[in-house]
Amino acid sequence: MFEWLLSDQMVGNMLYVNSLLLMGGIYALMCLGLNVQWGFTGLFNAGIAGFAAVGAYTYAILTTFASGMHIGGYELPIWVGMLAAMITSGIIALAIGAICIRLRADYLAIATIGIAEIIKLILKNETAITNGPRGVAKIPRSWEHLGDARVAEKLPWRLFGEPSAYEGFFREWYPLLFMLTVVGFVLLVYLALEIARTSPWGRVMTAIRENEAAARAAGKNVTRLRIESFVVGAVIIGLAGAFYAQQLRFIEPTNAFDPTKLTFLVWVMLIMGGSGNNRGAVLGGLMLWVIWSGTELVIRFGANVVGDIFPDLSPSVLVTKASFLRLFLIGLILQFVLQRFPKGILPEVRPAALGGKTNEVRD
Amino acid sequence: MKKTLLVSAAVMAFASVASAQVKVGNPMAVTGPIPDLVAPMVDAVNLAVAHVNEQGGVLGQEYVMVAADSGCDPAAAVDAVTKLVNVDQVSALIGPVCSGATIAQATSVAIPAGVVTLSVSASSPAISTLEEGTDLVFRTAASDAYQGVALAELAMASGISDIAVSYAQDDYNAALAAVFAEAFAAMGGNVTANEAHEPDKASYRSEVATMGSTSDNLALFAYYGSGGITLMRNALETGAFSTFIGADGMLSQETIDQIGGENMGAATFTTSASDPSRDAFQAWAALAEAAGVPASDPFVANSYDAAFMMALAIEAAGSADRDGIAAGLRAISGPDGETILPGEFAKAKEILAAGGSINYDGGSGPQDFDGNGDVAGFFSANVVVPKGSETKLTIGSKSYDPEYVWSSTLLN
Repeated sequence: MFEWLLSDQMVGNMLYVNSLLLMGGIYALMCLGLNVQWGFTGLFNAGIAGFAAVGAYTYAILTTFASGMHIGGYELPIWVGMLAAMITSGIIALAIGAICIRLRADYLAIATIGIAEIIKLILKNETAITNGPRGVAKIPRSWEHLGDARVAEKLPWRLFGEPSAYEGFFREWYPLLFMLTVVGFVLLVYLALEIARTSPWGRVMTAIRENEAAARAAGKNVTRLRIESFVVGAVIIGLAGAFYAQQLRFIEPTNAFDPTKLTFLVWVMLIMGGSGNNRGAVLGGLMLWVIWSGTELVIRFGANVVGDIFPDLSPSVLVTKASFLRLFLIGLILQFVLQRFPKGILPEVRPAALGGKTNEVRD
Repeated sequence: MKKTLLVSAAVMAFASVASAQVKVGNPMAVTGPIPDLVAPMVDAVNLAVAHVNEQGGVLGQEYVMVAADSGCDPAAAVDAVTKLVNVDQVSALIGPVCSGATIAQATSVAIPAGVVTLSVSASSPAISTLEEGTDLVFRTAASDAYQGVALAELAMASGISDIAVSYAQDDYNAALAAVFAEAFAAMGGNVTANEAHEPDKASYRSEVATMGSTSDNLALFAYYGSGGITLMRNALETGAFSTFIGADGMLSQETIDQIGGENMGAATFTTSASDPSRDAFQAWAALAEAAGVPASDPFVANSYDAAFMMALAIEAAGSADRDGIAAGLRAISGPDGETILPGEFAKAKEILAAGGSINYDGGSGPQDFDGNGDVAGFFSANVVVPKGSETKLTIGSKSYDPEYVWSSTLLN
């Protein structure tokens, strides 16, 4: 009766929806990170790709098997790699923050663009460490790596049976498990940031964003608080970078961390979803990724229909031409959203200063 | 989510209408940094599909190429191939163009799903050793490992004993330079300097000055449009180097036009080439000319060969199931069997139906896969000569009449 559910086509469609949630979740994490910096505190970070690259490379180098191409072969567990990705990204943000956090909005943007470029050039040129432009390959992916006998050999549950007994399970089910892991982290970070947002810390951040002089006059250590916000955001982006490396399984400095596809896209996601609103950040990340990825299928379907009606037009030529429309489409969507929803689809809801948790007011 | 469900439903509706098809995914780098190179490659793939369908199709069904965009970007390639493998349910994949995109889509999506990737132009040596225990990644373009060695042999043969190496810091040039330097040293040559340079700089005077003191010969690995011409001009102006060798990144009429043919000194650049004396190339050139596809442009013949071989492999395997395709590719490419030239699909089908074995001989080379799924290629050495005295033009004629042109001689 439910055989159609298990047909190759249905399983394939579900796997695609799975991959949408997965990549959408990774982008949602980056949006949440940026939301702390820009949405809460008003720090213009234009170097998202740089922090994601730091996280991705830290993770990749610590967890891969020895390749002879880059330093590594540490084969550390995945959770250690992800933790290290967050810490490294945070330390770099701390160092940068200590130097240039006092710059006002657009100057900070220029500084962060420059820093992202510096990070990229270091990754590109320190070939002994990162293998330079040739990249790091065979990065282990959460759960899938448990299907690798070399990994399984080392695991504590080796006591419960031979690796061959569970290799197959992980090789088959890793997409679902990995997606649930990413979505779980999105949920976790979201809940943590909601607590942060409604706490006194979150309210001070809003105060700094809206009127820094007043916050300073109220006795707040503005510089320190701005650095805190910058570091927290960078830690989240570093975590997203580690997941990004896991999903691609291959990273190199130039194309994989192209600012138009990370920095620009994440900014559009956050602005579209609703800057300052954590739910908006998650919504923006998921929604724009679904649009970005799904348009290719819509275009292909449309091209086939046109090709059926007009036999002179080849669908593959149409698809080729339409591929260039996708970036244009993102711009168009941004225009539309900014016209209809100037504050994003889910505008910021600020906790009332004195009214307690239940009495939130719209800005 | 609603949108996704709608999309999936639409795709399913379409998939059920067109069932008598053999579908192969074709994620080319339509957008990204090299769309102009990719356009004729896409045409060549479509030409192969047209030839197969004119001659009865694969397994009696229509041979369909599902086009997608991998953008020369690992993230875009993973996304595009996820859709091809899962939503479109393709039997196999022909070609992400760039090496990084090929590695990412293969390790992230195609290999775990058991889908064969047949790349048309990924030349990174890293692809040879990508797999562990599977046989799913093939390519119709020769690995840089071969071109680097061919170039080292050429340098040795022309009497160069010491050389400085300068390469642009990108995946293609860095990999090629590493292979060259290693091969040249192994042949007894002396690599006096081996330095990366950042592409697209306004001046390379300090780079060439430092390296110029070590040798008169420079092995230059760069793209002509991204700093290669500037570096070569700086090296000539300062007299740092007099002899240049390098690979296809520098091969363009633009290089001659900007530096001036009379100034270029002894410059020899290699490129992957087709041997025009082979029957297979002539068959391909005739087909390409009839369809208006540039037969000798980079990786165009390789693209046609890949699309044609995939059809042969599915025909030989007897089904479009993903499992049999790797074995099919090995069966139709091996050195044994009756030779099949580009375009001869009906003939191949007849032989296969009668239980015979075939050996596809492509326009780009014999296309015999080794254990890693790699093929050996042909390379040519190209030097600058006054127009009229060339043995064979490397790059097709343009609308204007240049004074100097690249002249090509086949190596190996």
